[in-house]
Amino acid sequence: MPWINRATIDRVKQEFKEEVQVSSGEHAVSLEVSHGKLKDLLRYLKDKERFLHFIDMTCIDFPEDTRRFKGVYILYNPEENERVIIKAWAQNGKLPTVSDLWPGAKWAEREAYDMFGVEFEGHENLRRMFMWEGYEYFPLRKDFPMEGIPEQELPSLTEVLHGRTDPPSHDYEVLHTKVPTLEDLERTEKARLQKKAQLVLNWGPLHPGTHGTIWFLFDLEGEFVVQSDVILGQLHRGMEKIAENVYYFQFLPYTDRMDYISAICNELSYVTAVEKLLKVEVPEKAQYIRTMFAELQRINSHLLWLGTGALDLGALTVFLYCFREREKIMDIIEGNAGYRLTTAFLRIGGVHYDLAEGTLDVVKAFIKDFPQKLKEYHMLLTRNRIWLRRTKDVGIISREDVYAYGLSGPVARGSGVPYDLRKLEPYAAYDEVDFDIPVGEVGDVYDRYLVRMEEMAQSVKIIEQCVEKLEKMPKDAPYINKDHPAVIPPKEDVFMSLEDMVQSFRVVVHGENAPPGEVYSSAENPRGELGFYIYSTGGSKPYRLRIRSGALYNLSIFPKLIQGKTIADAIALLGSLDPVVGETDR
Amino acid sequence: MNEFLVSLLITLIKIGVLLGVALGLGAYLTWFERKLAGHIQARLGPTVVGPFGLLQPLADGLKLMTKESIIPKGADVPVYYLAIMMAVAPAILLFSVIPFGPEFTLFGYQIKPIISDVNIALLVVFAMGSLAVYGTIFSGWASNSKYAFIGSLRKAAVIIAYEVVLGFSVLGVILIAGTMSTIGIVEAQIERGVWFIFYQPVAFILFLFCMLAESGRVPFDIQEAEAELVTGYNVEYGGMRFGALPLAEWYLNVMALSAIAVVLFFGGWSGPNILGPFSPYFWFLAKMFGLVFFVIWLHWTLPRFQAKDVTEIAWKIMLPLALVNVLVTAVVVYFFGGGT
Repeated sequence: MPWINRATIDRVKQEFKEEVQVSSGEHAVSLEVSHGKLKDLLRYLKDKERFLHFIDMTCIDFPEDTRRFKGVYILYNPEENERVIIKAWAQNGKLPTVSDLWPGAKWAEREAYDMFGVEFEGHENLRRMFMWEGYEYFPLRKDFPMEGIPEQELPSLTEVLHGRTDPPSHDYEVLHTKVPTLEDLERTEKARLQKKAQLVLNWGPLHPGTHGTIWFLFDLEGEFVVQSDVILGQLHRGMEKIAENVYYFQFLPYTDRMDYISAICNELSYVTAVEKLLKVEVPEKAQYIRTMFAELQRINSHLLWLGTGALDLGALTVFLYCFREREKIMDIIEGNAGYRLTTAFLRIGGVHYDLAEGTLDVVKAFIKDFPQKLKEYHMLLTRNRIWLRRTKDVGIISREDVYAYGLSGPVARGSGVPYDLRKLEPYAAYDEVDFDIPVGEVGDVYDRYLVRMEEMAQSVKIIEQCVEKLEKMPKDAPYINKDHPAVIPPKEDVFMSLEDMVQSFRVVVHGENAPPGEVYSSAENPRGELGFYIYSTGGSKPYRLRIRSGALYNLSIFPKLIQGKTIADAIALLGSLDPVVGETDR
Repeated sequence: MNEFLVSLLITLIKIGVLLGVALGLGAYLTWFERKLAGHIQARLGPTVVGPFGLLQPLADGLKLMTKESIIPKGADVPVYYLAIMMAVAPAILLFSVIPFGPEFTLFGYQIKPIISDVNIALLVVFAMGSLAVYGTIFSGWASNSKYAFIGSLRKAAVIIAYEVVLGFSVLGVILIAGTMSTIGIVEAQIERGVWFIFYQPVAFILFLFCMLAESGRVPFDIQEAEAELVTGYNVEYGGMRFGALPLAEWYLNVMALSAIAVVLFFGGWSGPNILGPFSPYFWFLAKMFGLVFFVIWLHWTLPRFQAKDVTEIAWKIMLPLALVNVLVTAVVVYFFGGGT
């Protein structure tokens, strides 16, 4: 994807004179602006230069600088297909809020506040995003130790129950730890919502309708939701902190654990970013293998969405029909990667294994059979009156909201915004395959449903082309670029040749130094744009790695959509936004 | 005196047989449903316990009975227990007005295979249907849980709406048959040689909808709605107390209402004589389970409506339809004769 063009930069310079400094890196163009002019520049970019789409906001910590925190904003211009990064130093640990320009920034700013302690002036609800209320530390600051602060560690259940031979299974008094549990729940409930309605319903953290550990608070008036709040963080594992402390290649398996339903897509997004930074060329065969598996994974992920979404709306059988097909994909992935869910199949510079014997035949059999199954799902749901009744005109998202809330993926496309990074910023082999982007018209749950259904058909088309191409390639074509110093050679070679062994040792022990610079690269995941913003100061570990989660931004519009709707709509809506908590919490 | 004792004895035997059969069938309906659901969903269903998994209901029952029962903090304990009885009793009482076959003579005594042949049998059916809502309401209220509470309120709204429709939909049949006695209605159909479903197709469809709504089956299972309410009104029950609620609602109620539908629309026990004296019972049960099968089939195929839609359908679409149906039937019966 191209970055902001020269003419625009000139206009910005004219407008802001000395206040803006432009630095054009190899992979990104960023504008550095003074603290006072930040809001003006952002407003100017949004209103005058049409950088409407909010992509991400985060902070970087520089402890040696007196100003310490730097805010980073990533914006997108849908008309010109251009991105820009804006940076500004915080003053006294404060930044102005941009949530009045883009409501989608609300959660990003809360996250930055939670992780760095940067305060956002004018933010309407600046609370901890992932950590609990009352936690004193800010984990992503550089002076926060990797292992955590000891006295805040939670006692394990064995410790709590020490000496008791008859632990009662439901004794909360005994099991109460420093993690927020039942009493904090009530306190949080009161703090989060000004109780205006008859009933506050705790929907979560463990609830079958939320598909993970999200905690919703619904303020109910009868069955209608007056206002709602989302509490995240139950699955927060500090991915970004971990990334800062491991070598580039070591972080790859962690990405699997974010959106665990589409692991290969996550990996693809991550390796694409790192390969850009390290300038690694990827062999053609690896590109096609990546594309094929990413699309298989997309079908897999959409099948899970369809199954659970239908299950939520009471269609119990669709769930198992979806899992039947999903199982086949899992088998294909397992046959090739060795794992079913968290595959760690991709590598920087290629893929871990060459295609296993017979993979292409199995894939071909699958894509031959799958369109019929897709028809079956359509038959069960698409024209079903009850299904229409539950999904039509529910949760309509306008185009403006797509931009303002930073929505992406099928949620954005359901509202008629053709934002698909496979076309806009082709990675892997997406520029060489032919496929269409389905878009919706109304932007309701039904449109998002149709978009995802059509995406599965398009994925089949992509896989077909990949298989065709892969069949023509010679069997011994390289699947990993082991000439690059950052790439760990495949295991067979490590055991056979000395050079490869040395290289393997070197990378594993010392990591590979990346040039200083920054890169923002994103991929089209089944759940929206998964972006990696890597800020490198040289060295073999990223100085800051920010994960832009599509699911988090897609979820951020939920409280707005649910207002005035019933709880029955809540599950239809949530199903259509399709968040995976592993990715929203990271 | 002697006669009174004998009739008392006969009634007690009938009650015993019916209770055994109804509860046994109810339990085995779980096996039937699981097996059917399995095959609908491209699975096998229970296979491990016994041949074809036939002992599965026993295993389930044993498991439920031996489970620890947890009563939530702040629960209203007497009402909490009362709720189960209020759910199960009306469902079983529904069976008391169902005639399973024609009158027969045994040891010189005339025996009707119905527990009480009252001439207001259909009113009893409505009454029991309405009473069943107390089980749900009590369980929702006494559990001290918001999910259960919301679920039970939904159920109350549904029952109120569908009781009205149910009453009006059956009115057409009563007009034609000229009696409210269930035996009378069956005999009226046998006399005419026509099942009332051919006279009252609209009423049958309405009745079917009401049956689904009253027994909380898909697409009207809003009070359970496992995705949003985590099975709703019975969420705080454990062990066999939990087992009793679906047993009453999903199985006993469905069976009883199917039996009543058979009485009203499918000519009760009428059918060709293929099994001698057991033929009427065979036909009755076959028709009944045909309907039960249909209900379960729907359950595993369709999505679910929203609460507001369910009541909307009842008040705005079905009630006017039922009224028109009654009106037309009344006019036709008045001019062309019908009942006595």
